[in-house]
Amino acid sequence: MKNISICVGSSCHLKGSYKIIELAKDYIANHNIGDKVNLGAAFCLGRCTDGVTIKIDDEIICGVNENNFQQIFDEKVLACLG
Amino acid sequence: MMNSKAFSFCTDIGYLSVNKHDEQLCGDHVELVEQDENSIVFVLADGLGSGVKASILSTLTSKIISTMMANNMSVEDCVATMAATLPVCEVRKVAYSTFTIIRVVNNKEAEIIQYDNPQVIMLRDGKNFDYPKTINQIDGKTIYISKVQLKLDDTFITTSDGAIYAGVGSSLNFGWQRDNIIEFMEGIYDREFSAKALATLLLDECVRLYGGSPGDDTTVGVIKIREREQVNLMIGPPSDPKDLNKMMTLFFSKEGKHIVCGGTTSTLTGQFLGKPVIPCLDYISPDIPPMATIEGVDIVTEGVITISKVLDYAKDYLGENKLYDDWTILQDGASCIARMLFEDATDINFYVGRAVNAAHQNPNLPITFNIKMQLVDELSKCLRQMGKKIKVSYF
Repeated sequence: MKNISICVGSSCHLKGSYKIIELAKDYIANHNIGDKVNLGAAFCLGRCTDGVTIKIDDEIICGVNENNFQQIFDEKVLACLG
Repeated sequence: MMNSKAFSFCTDIGYLSVNKHDEQLCGDHVELVEQDENSIVFVLADGLGSGVKASILSTLTSKIISTMMANNMSVEDCVATMAATLPVCEVRKVAYSTFTIIRVVNNKEAEIIQYDNPQVIMLRDGKNFDYPKTINQIDGKTIYISKVQLKLDDTFITTSDGAIYAGVGSSLNFGWQRDNIIEFMEGIYDREFSAKALATLLLDECVRLYGGSPGDDTTVGVIKIREREQVNLMIGPPSDPKDLNKMMTLFFSKEGKHIVCGGTTSTLTGQFLGKPVIPCLDYISPDIPPMATIEGVDIVTEGVITISKVLDYAKDYLGENKLYDDWTILQDGASCIARMLFEDATDINFYVGRAVNAAHQNPNLPITFNIKMQLVDELSKCLRQMGKKIKVSYF
């Protein structure tokens, strides 16, 4: 089980949390991993200068955007689920 | 027993006008003066004719009357001063403006003084209430004076004659009579509706009957007697972290609803209450960050972006009121706060933390400390204009 939180604090929101949440929902649906992933939001992960910030289990990943989203989720989510 | 109850009443007041088609200025004018904490004077004046002349007459009339009444001068003095002051119309050789005065004293009694405007409609428990009137001759003018002991939810609807002429010549042959307006208001009445909502609904109906092109300046003013309701809103952590406990304790010891704004502030609130902060993943409007829930807090939202949207709604509500259908219906953070502050609250306490969010002091972000302070300032100004009692405490 992977716990993923996407920050929806002010700064991350302005940097595109909405888009990242949409991408994450689509990603989970497309890979059919809804039962292995717990997707949620977080209220400010304290890394406001380098959003969008997400947290996968205990690892905080900053600077997530539309371009690197696929790579990050492939490496940190899909690969770990085996 | 009755008296102590009455003191928890307050007035909710909403009014708006539309101009006669092709006119730049409204010939009706509303003036509202707060005599003291529990007493107000509301004046609706309708100047002779339309356009600039009518506007000057009605503005002068309502200003003179409201100022004099608020200083406890008699109706006779008000009328005499008005007659002596108003400029005489070149064409009609008279100085003339009709007026309706509603004076609420100690939130216990309403005094209604009427001169030539359509008679004030009073609803009690949502039904037409025929209040007693005495006829007085002052300076050759027939003036109706009434006194009514107030009950919760009593609603006074005052209009300029534009409202009863609505529809003449277009959709209704004989205009819209006072009885039709009573029927309409009884039909839409819901005790949850604010004065502004009731006034908006009635004015919209008048404009509709005029086929979108009003034949006369039309004004609707509603005064509703309601109970006080306190709402407390906290935004931002204190500048000195040592004050956090004090700020939280004061905030949560206040009666009424509680709104917490800001990511960090919510996290600290969760810690203070010993309850988890559960953010919601779903964006209802893409431009407003999602809300969160904390047991014991009524609304939890993000900070500056949400509040700046609330401020947009507040400015619109006081002006053109075009966004009313958005914030009264949508379920995003800004709309939820707008409903609670604009419609439910009568007394609002702001708890503003002056901590500077280091992460926001970044040239790449359009959020600065000053913006937060400015937002609170502007929002409290707007809320005061809506007739709310506002207290702002800084930490």
